[in-house]
Amino acid sequence: MPDTLSNISSAEGTGQTLPDATLHEHTLDNGLRVVVREDHMAPLVAVNLWYSVGSRHERPGRTGLAHLFEHLMFQGSANVAEGEHAALMQDAGAQFNATTSFERTNYFETLPTSHFELALWLEADRMGTLPSALTQVNLDNQRDVVKNERRQRYDNVPYGTAVERLFALAFPEGHPYAHTPIGSMADLEAATLDDCRDFFTAYYAPDNAVISIVGDVDGAKAFAEVERYFGHLGKGPGVPAARNGHAGPLPEQLRREVAEAVPAPALFGLFRLPADGTREMEAIDLAIGILGSGTSCRLYERLVRQDQLVTEMWFGTDRFASGDSVALLQLVAASGADLARIEEVFDAELAAFVSGGPTAAEVERVLAQTERSFLNQTATVTGLADEISMQTTLFGDPGRVFTTVERVTSITVEEVVAAARTYLAPQNRAVLSYRPES
Amino acid sequence: MRSELPGGLIGLTCHLPGRELASAQLVLDAGAGREPDGLAGTATIVARVLTEGTAQLNATEFANKLESMGATLSAVADLSSLRLVLDAPVRRLPAAVELLAEAAGSPALDEGEIARLRRERLDEIRLENADASHRARVALRAALYDSADRASLPTAGTVETVTGIDAAAVRSFYRDTFGTGTLVLAGDVTDAHTTLAKAFSGWQAAAEPSTPAEPRFTRGPRLVIVHRPDSVQTQLSIAHPAPGRDHGDWAALNIAAYVMGGGLNSRLNAVLREEKGYTYGFYAGMQSLRRHGLLIVEGAVHTEVTGPALADTIAEIRKLVTGGPTAEETASAVRALADAAPARFETAHRIVAELASAVAGGLPVEYPSSYLAALRVVDAQRAGAALAGQVDPDGLTVVAVGDADRIREPIEALGLADVEIVED
Repeated sequence: MPDTLSNISSAEGTGQTLPDATLHEHTLDNGLRVVVREDHMAPLVAVNLWYSVGSRHERPGRTGLAHLFEHLMFQGSANVAEGEHAALMQDAGAQFNATTSFERTNYFETLPTSHFELALWLEADRMGTLPSALTQVNLDNQRDVVKNERRQRYDNVPYGTAVERLFALAFPEGHPYAHTPIGSMADLEAATLDDCRDFFTAYYAPDNAVISIVGDVDGAKAFAEVERYFGHLGKGPGVPAARNGHAGPLPEQLRREVAEAVPAPALFGLFRLPADGTREMEAIDLAIGILGSGTSCRLYERLVRQDQLVTEMWFGTDRFASGDSVALLQLVAASGADLARIEEVFDAELAAFVSGGPTAAEVERVLAQTERSFLNQTATVTGLADEISMQTTLFGDPGRVFTTVERVTSITVEEVVAAARTYLAPQNRAVLSYRPES
Repeated sequence: MRSELPGGLIGLTCHLPGRELASAQLVLDAGAGREPDGLAGTATIVARVLTEGTAQLNATEFANKLESMGATLSAVADLSSLRLVLDAPVRRLPAAVELLAEAAGSPALDEGEIARLRRERLDEIRLENADASHRARVALRAALYDSADRASLPTAGTVETVTGIDAAAVRSFYRDTFGTGTLVLAGDVTDAHTTLAKAFSGWQAAAEPSTPAEPRFTRGPRLVIVHRPDSVQTQLSIAHPAPGRDHGDWAALNIAAYVMGGGLNSRLNAVLREEKGYTYGFYAGMQSLRRHGLLIVEGAVHTEVTGPALADTIAEIRKLVTGGPTAEETASAVRALADAAPARFETAHRIVAELASAVAGGLPVEYPSSYLAALRVVDAQRAGAALAGQVDPDGLTVVAVGDADRIREPIEALGLADVEIVED
């Protein structure tokens, strides 16, 4: 029997689970999946909805639509006036927001339990009736807001478009991950009211959503409330078939030079990885954690401390279930350091890891980090609700939340090394090198 | 719970059942306000070198030991304090607190590590200043404070000052400032005092506490454009001096600032974002510093609309100062700030951070709860009076980071103040 990481590590009892892992699950007749987790530590409740739609569902010429639509979800619905959603949430003492990613769009609020029904009513009203409040004025206004979001977060930031460029470089044109959720200025400009209505009809339906409720509520009572507010909504027409997101490792390295007004030369990389939900993904995540997370990892030790070639470093993964996950790398050169030299050292460290494997100390460290990030993610009702929605939406199994650490400790060292050999090989990489424009 | 620890340290501990991730902060009277003239940034280098090796462990060994516990430890200096921040799973807390004590009590202060951190800080300054919002904050402080006030320079120093920080400067700052302090700890921990007392048994309070200086401001109005050619947006950052957290107006000022720019339906966002689409979002809020506070208003706007956006911003500030908030706005802001407290303080980390911030500001440990109580009794009259009494809409300091060739004229046309141009 091969040694799993849990056997190799000398760390005592990682695999820690929360004291009570009870989840209540129910599906309404209209297909809305509901998961409730009682947590009576504070008089708070987190309400979290995941719609199974993200930028990967956008068609060519309409990039950014999923995110623009997310903004419109705050502009009112049949029974909620413009601006009223935010006003009611603020009045209730709620922390609320929404985000759009490649695979999903989430809407969430954490608020005093006494306002639980308000959150359900607002979410149900926009799930059921959003188009009745859609106007050209609202669309034009939020289009301007989103264009300014794009400028503020990407276009007016040094290296701000690196990730967008990497996805475009690493995935072929037309691939669902070839563009990022923010979308292009031209496509944002082109979006029409009809696009928004069609998008709503196709994707914003109870049977394409999950609602998670975590906090100071009674399970049975919470189901009854969800039934009361969402039960009357009709099923959607069924979502359009999504394009295949699985591409596999790159056959050869893809490179671009970028000359921009940036403060220092830098290397950015994207590695295509296996889909989430596979043992291979757990294995490569461990390899990347060992190589690149924290300040005692191999890459930091070598590039930052020892050779002092790099001042800022990031190496981590983004998991996707419906296609390739990715690893993203950022290495900002120390003044006077040469990018070619940095890349040479980076490659040498990767090669050494593939040939020698991890040390016992490295395994122990990465498992401790896994446990810690699990505790972090589940420490708040807000975080736990989002995690439950994620596992339910992507894997149909909210209970996976509590087996995160087990999935990691069951991986063998051989699997970690094999995954590193395949996915960290030099050819499986899209690379941008930034050179400052004077 | 308050307790006395070795070497004059004060312990503040809070048992939070069910919180598996514990958090601890050591707050020391070793902020940037105590740096010698010309060596701005020393406190930051000292903070950073604490986790780069101790008498027992070199930098990598120290980091590895910490990370193998699933713990993180960082140290950061602001103007009034230097704080070490530890987060660790409860069952590994005693060992992690030992490392915290080692970092604070017997750091190696190694010359090679100090030289590396200085080089990294110099590179970091270039990276930070490339960010428009950071650059605006730097320019804002330079314009707002008298140049004799330490706050006029960035907390972590400038290229000129950081270049002069050597091992001797780091060691003498450590020797002269590390002493009395407060340890705050929270989590599902029942024997917190024992854990702290054991780890800090060798602590000695050598240094004298400091006497913070009164802030010195320049006179507004000021209007500074940091010229950044080809910017697609203009970063606007506006400030006005105000009293601090120990002042009777503080809660009322926070309510007024929240009405101005605290949320999505605040006055600034209602106009600049939801009505006109000039921005992704504006923010207004009170920033607390030792012995004073600042009203801060900031946001990024499309270059083409910089003039009208700034005009609207100033008009909204003026309208709120002269007319005050409505009863409805005030009540909503009170609920937003006070009722959201349980959600904001769900984790041990957040609770410890709040208590540590009060301690660093020289406030009593009850401050976080008395502040919440003070928020709840603010009415429209009180919020309006506090804002009108403390903020002069004709005395604002305004910074715009953007393309001066395109934004200078529209800004000048507003007639707010003489425009000063700073090359980026």
